[in-house]
Amino acid sequence: MSKLSKVADSDLRGLGDLDIDDVLAYVHRDLKRLPDYTELYRRYLSQRWNVYDLDFSRDAVDWRERMSREERDAFVGISAGFHHGERQVEVELPVFMLGGSEESKIYMSSQIEDEARHTVFFDRFYREVVGLPGDSVQAVLDASFEHVSETFVGPFGLLAYQADELRKDPEEPAARVRYGTTYFLWIEGVLALTVMKITLTYCRERGFLPGYYTGFTATCRDEARHVQFGMRFLRDSVQEDPRLLLQIHETLRTLLAMNSATSRRLDLQSLGWTPEEVKRLMIRQLRMKLVDVGITLPPDIQDMVSGITPEIAGG
Amino acid sequence: MRFFTPEWAETVRAAVDAGPPREDKLPEYWSWIDRARTAYTATWALGVRETGLYLVLAWKDGKCVDAAISGDPGSADYVLTAGFATWRELREGADPGQAVMYRRLRLERGNVLAFFRVIYFFVESLAALSRVPAEP
Repeated sequence: MSKLSKVADSDLRGLGDLDIDDVLAYVHRDLKRLPDYTELYRRYLSQRWNVYDLDFSRDAVDWRERMSREERDAFVGISAGFHHGERQVEVELPVFMLGGSEESKIYMSSQIEDEARHTVFFDRFYREVVGLPGDSVQAVLDASFEHVSETFVGPFGLLAYQADELRKDPEEPAARVRYGTTYFLWIEGVLALTVMKITLTYCRERGFLPGYYTGFTATCRDEARHVQFGMRFLRDSVQEDPRLLLQIHETLRTLLAMNSATSRRLDLQSLGWTPEEVKRLMIRQLRMKLVDVGITLPPDIQDMVSGITPEIAGG
Repeated sequence: MRFFTPEWAETVRAAVDAGPPREDKLPEYWSWIDRARTAYTATWALGVRETGLYLVLAWKDGKCVDAAISGDPGSADYVLTAGFATWRELREGADPGQAVMYRRLRLERGNVLAFFRVIYFFVESLAALSRVPAEP
């Protein structure tokens, strides 16, 4: 069985043995071909996993006894973004499902369920491993918000306001493309995959947090479907009406303008990453999606991409 | 001083013009805000949903030059509204960034992308506004 077939077909236990680089390769393998929405839905049915099957007992020991304070701080600082991110996309995605083809709507129902499951994954991790207090999902989210950096607050907020804009007319092509650029291209395609690569590489190289590694690797495989759906949506939208490319550009200008704001410094070097490596990773994630889908950028946005802030999680 | 009165509005104008204290965050963050604010010219109407009253703040060339309480947002570039509960939580110390991220203030009018290009300037202005003591 090839490495990528193993990614596609592994059950939850098997996902814990995979290398994150193979999962990221799996995310990008189909970007040139871009499967249709029905194929992605079929994949969801076979790849769905149960978040309550994860065992965090060894993670809790690693967290308390094996990880240094600097490592814990950096890990919480970067993963808190996606604790909130999963909640945010779960809540803001249903409005996008109201538009598009019937196949798109059926597929989208699976992505909403994925995002809800990912929210539970982080809720369990923050309760059972990090030890945050809270009687409800919201209470745990509130407890972790202080760790969320502007890198996430801006894009997640933008998505919330774009969802409100889309609510007025869920079929409006320009609003759908702006929303899709923020969600599928930037949040899923750049931020999520970068966070996955950083935290999962750390876990694998140090042999820490096996429950987190298994669950977030499974999440990353889910992201493959999300990114492929999103890139197909953007590609098809622009092919149908090339003027929509301007909506992608305008949204990217806003996302990249926000990207350079950061109010706190976080020591990602304790997780084994230099700022320059993080910057290269983010730029690479963005360029791979754009090139594969055939989205061209004007010079001013290319300059903004080159100036991406290297420290993804707070400076 | 009572919330959403002319006296409170003028105090808020001075507070957002001065901005919040800068000791807790990186200098680069405030540089971003200074860049966003330089030459910023727009009017924000911030409303209370239950009363229909708006705090109208006018920015010109990076300075907050006027503040008024009105029952009409007029021609404000950005009209945002929130319920009493959100305004109370902000006054009691809720994180203004989380309030924006969770869309607790709704953008009723205005270009979303343009609004977000200066979003942390808005968040810090909301922080400065929330620190002005006021009775409900």
